[in-house]
Amino acid sequence: MPNPLNELLRQYLTVAIFAGLGLAMVGAMLGVGWLLRPDRPEPQKYINYESGVDPLGVMWSQSQIRYYVFALLFVLFDVEAVFIFPWATRLEAYGAFGLIEMAVFIFILALGLVYAWRKGVLRWV
Amino acid sequence: MIGVLARLAQDTGDGILVPAEPIQAGVTQIATPEIQWVALLPHLILVVGGILLLTIASLFRHRVPRWAYTIYTVAVAAGAIIAALPLWVRVQDAERGPFSAIAGALGVDGFSIFITVIICAGVILTALLADGYLKREGIDGPELFVLLLLAASGGTIMASANDLIVLFLGLEILSISVYVMAAMHARRFTSLEAGMKYFILGAFSSAFFLYGIALVYGASGSTNMIRINQYLASPTGVVLSENGLLLGGFALLLVGFGFKVAAVPFHAWAPDVYQGAPTPVTAFMASAVKAGGFAAMLRVFVLTFGTFSGDWQPVVFALAVLSLLVGSVLAIVQTNVKRMLAYSSIAHAGFILVGVEVATEQGTAAALFYLAAYTFMVVGSFAVITVVGRKGDGHHELSDYRGLARRQPVLAFVFTILLLAQAGVPFTAGFFAKFYVISAAVDAENYSLAIIAMVSAVIAAFLYLRIMISMYMSTDSEAVTGEPDRVPVPLAAGIALFVACVVTVVIGFVPGPITDLANDAVPFLVQVG
Amino acid sequence: MPSAVIAAGATNGVGFPLLTCIVALPALGAAVLACLPRARGDLLKLVAVLFAVASGALSIWMLAEFDTAFDGFQFVSRHQWIESFGISWFLGVDGISLFLVVLSGVMFPIALVAASPKQDQKSFYAWMLLLMAGSMGAFVALDLLLFFVFFEIVLVPMYFLIGMWGYGNRVYAATKFFLFTMLGSALMLVGILALVILTSSNTGQGVTFDLVELAEAQGVGLVAARWIFVSFALAFAVKVPLFPVHTWLPDAHTEAPTAGSVILAAIMLKLGTYGFLRFGLYLFPEATHWFAPLFLTLGVVGIIYGAVVATMQRDLKRLVAYSSVAHLGFIVIGIFALNAQGLEGGVLQMVNHGLSTGALFILVGFIYERRHTREISELGGLQKSAPILAGVFTVVMLSSIGVPGLNGFVGEFLSLLGAFRGARWWGAVATLGVVLAAVYLLWAYQRVFHGSPEGENARLRDLSLREGLIMVPLVGLIVFIGVYPRPVLARIEPSVDALVAHVDAHVEDFEVEEIVFDPLPEGNDDAEHDEEGGED
Repeated sequence: MPNPLNELLRQYLTVAIFAGLGLAMVGAMLGVGWLLRPDRPEPQKYINYESGVDPLGVMWSQSQIRYYVFALLFVLFDVEAVFIFPWATRLEAYGAFGLIEMAVFIFILALGLVYAWRKGVLRWV
Repeated sequence: MIGVLARLAQDTGDGILVPAEPIQAGVTQIATPEIQWVALLPHLILVVGGILLLTIASLFRHRVPRWAYTIYTVAVAAGAIIAALPLWVRVQDAERGPFSAIAGALGVDGFSIFITVIICAGVILTALLADGYLKREGIDGPELFVLLLLAASGGTIMASANDLIVLFLGLEILSISVYVMAAMHARRFTSLEAGMKYFILGAFSSAFFLYGIALVYGASGSTNMIRINQYLASPTGVVLSENGLLLGGFALLLVGFGFKVAAVPFHAWAPDVYQGAPTPVTAFMASAVKAGGFAAMLRVFVLTFGTFSGDWQPVVFALAVLSLLVGSVLAIVQTNVKRMLAYSSIAHAGFILVGVEVATEQGTAAALFYLAAYTFMVVGSFAVITVVGRKGDGHHELSDYRGLARRQPVLAFVFTILLLAQAGVPFTAGFFAKFYVISAAVDAENYSLAIIAMVSAVIAAFLYLRIMISMYMSTDSEAVTGEPDRVPVPLAAGIALFVACVVTVVIGFVPGPITDLANDAVPFLVQVG
Repeated sequence: MPSAVIAAGATNGVGFPLLTCIVALPALGAAVLACLPRARGDLLKLVAVLFAVASGALSIWMLAEFDTAFDGFQFVSRHQWIESFGISWFLGVDGISLFLVVLSGVMFPIALVAASPKQDQKSFYAWMLLLMAGSMGAFVALDLLLFFVFFEIVLVPMYFLIGMWGYGNRVYAATKFFLFTMLGSALMLVGILALVILTSSNTGQGVTFDLVELAEAQGVGLVAARWIFVSFALAFAVKVPLFPVHTWLPDAHTEAPTAGSVILAAIMLKLGTYGFLRFGLYLFPEATHWFAPLFLTLGVVGIIYGAVVATMQRDLKRLVAYSSVAHLGFIVIGIFALNAQGLEGGVLQMVNHGLSTGALFILVGFIYERRHTREISELGGLQKSAPILAGVFTVVMLSSIGVPGLNGFVGEFLSLLGAFRGARWWGAVATLGVVLAAVYLLWAYQRVFHGSPEGENARLRDLSLREGLIMVPLVGLIVFIGVYPRPVLARIEPSVDALVAHVDAHVEDFEVEEIVFDPLPEGNDDAEHDEEGGED
């Protein structure tokens, strides 16, 4: 009887080979490009690329903290959506239990939103 | 919430990763597991209590006085304790005994109830402490109390989890709440730093933990502790010790637990976080969070992996010895009292690890007794630190305690009792805590560990003496130069201190009842019922 | 057989738990003090002394009620404490602990009266009373854990007494004292548990911490017993203190306030020697016999070392402290001679040392209060300005040297006699210590009291009435025991003989020689004990 563990490891071997090949491919492509391309350095070429416009200010500029809150809220509801879509496809199977369950889930998330709203986080100061 | 738990347990309980079934036209209803609401009541009270508080607080902001939050939190935690009492009677009943709820996801036994009560006691004391603290620091809002209740529910779920996934769920509920609590004092830079550090290292350790669960699942084919236990005890399971998968799982789980309970060498976060976090939160971390972590550790290692104890015991032995020695030695070179107690709590974790290491029923009972006693000692100690910390929560140097005995003899005396208890002086709870742990080690003929533990207790005693020296024995010349004023002791904090102190002393004189409870609180792995 | 008698115990017809009262009264007093107003210094002192005297009076009543012929534990009181672990509140006295309890009952009130704390009197007296409760408890506890609990708890009051009311380097001394003693006893807890659990598994009976049951069962193997004995002996050796672990003692004694030094010397050091007898010899006769040469050597080294170092001291209090190291050495060789004379001498010498060294510390305290120095070189000619003080000092010092007619002689003589019989060469060297004691004490006396006083020494106040009254009972006891030791020895002897018989029964190659000297030749009402001791 084959050892189940060895079977498992054999499957991982495929993954390892695949990963190794992938790395080799990337290395080969970059290496070929490095060998073939002409090399003519100019100062312009070393400037950060900002959609073709000349960059302004330092590289480590701070972004508004306000965006952070919105990014967070977005992630929150994004995750919610990720849960709700598969749930919706199977709602019939889950029945009333599933409905209540999702209601609880949405309630808790909505509570978070209410909290943020009452706390004044949503105001664009 | 509950359904999620149930779902997870059911899916994983079968031990197979079921690929999504193809969607069919004729839908068959999915059988939902039976839910024993009574068994869930303590957890439910905490969770719903927390959510309700958040709702009320969101809607009626600034219209509810602060003390109402404190009373509410105390009431909810007390309610959870009361809900746990009938369960205790039921599981101690010889005919009915321990049982498992929601398709084997949660185990209800004396052990889980004992830990639930400890955690709720920690919540009550912390809430009392937080009351005056929030007022003094001008932090408005009930967030701390909400998080406190949610964290407690995470801890109780950890203690009752009968499935590694549910355990992880509890761990995350607990951890994430505490990350935020650590950063609660947003105006203090160190508090933010503490929150950040705790979050990053905690998330790291959670990843280790999860990977450990994955490896154990890979080796045993289940995340349900009963199935794992049965599989490991079966002939196929025994062979597993020779391959790395299971042992790797043990190792990673131990790393995860090591982080949570702050055992050396996974302790590096503890001093900074304990020092930086708001002091009531530190009290909660040292008491309830530790209790939850150790509860899960005992259930997973001593119980589930009990048949493989020869494989993990040496590692836990090393963790215990390192925690005992490093914790106590590093504690005595600190000058910040909060930091001192952070290191001393590492040494205390070492003591509890001794109870884990012996892997016997006595060891488990000893660890439980230790956790119960330590909860009161450490919350009481941090209560004094909270009060002495003054506005800004920053006066934690040894020099801030200079002459305290002259200015506030009662406060100093209470702190002395609590410190002596931590040092393990007789007629305090700390003595019997150490006594039971040592007796469990001696009973398992683990003399070396017992001796190391006692030596570390003596080293740690020096640390408590240093604080007492500051309070009582500062020379007159020091007293003249810049002696701080009296510090006010808020009523609620005073109650917490009183309770902690009285319990510490009473257990020191009459340890019998708690001993009997701890002996009855043996964990069981219960078949899916 | 004595063992059966010991196991049975007796309550002597006293209608109430006498020993529990002796232990609990001072603790109650401390609680009462805590409720009194801080400012009323005289009231605080009065209450403290009253409680101490009440407990002391009960101990003297116990002495009167003590059944001389009975060699077992008397006044036994026993209640379950922690049932699941077989731990009980088990108290009792026999001839070995009887006089230590009485000594505590005498010395604590005297120390309290003699004390004059400068600040925070309330805490001072409360700690003193707690210390009294702890020491009393340690002497009467017959449950291993209960003994350990009392043995440990006395550290806390003593720590605060030295650290808060001591002199110059008090914090260092207090901390050193606490950590040294705690380190010693930490391993004893492991030893106790190992003994209890091994005995339980070997005999197949339930776990018990009962001293008598454990001692009679002798339920651990030879090697294990020796290891466990080491863990016990370390705790007691630190407390005694024996030679290499004695370094905490001079610091603690010197820096402690007078009352603290008195109690430390008179009572707390005895916990170590008492422990060797009660919990070393009784529990581990074989191991004690096996290790006896080591402890005899350490005792002799202590005698010589203590004496030599005492001779070189410039601080009067430190000199007395080092003299304790030497005197305790006599007790240790008496005990480890393992025969009736040595043990009797050891027990008696514990009491004697408590009386004479306690008195010496009080006298040094009096001198310090007057001159605010303990430097021998700054004192001189005190005999002229304070003749009564000098007279009392002379009596006490002579008792400490061991001059016949005073109590020190009887104890030292018996100890040395026992040593000569049991361990001849050690005895021979130890005798040298008697001479050395005369050297350092007489020389110190000469420097402090002789000559012509100058400056402040000339204006030294003599003993006041209060101070004189403090010294009266001490000097009285010193002379009484020196002249007529029979009543004391008669009470010690039965228990010691029973102990020797116990050792004889459990050690194979143990030889008890013919008794060549009986301290109680005439009217010996319990001759059968001698026969028991004399059998092989």
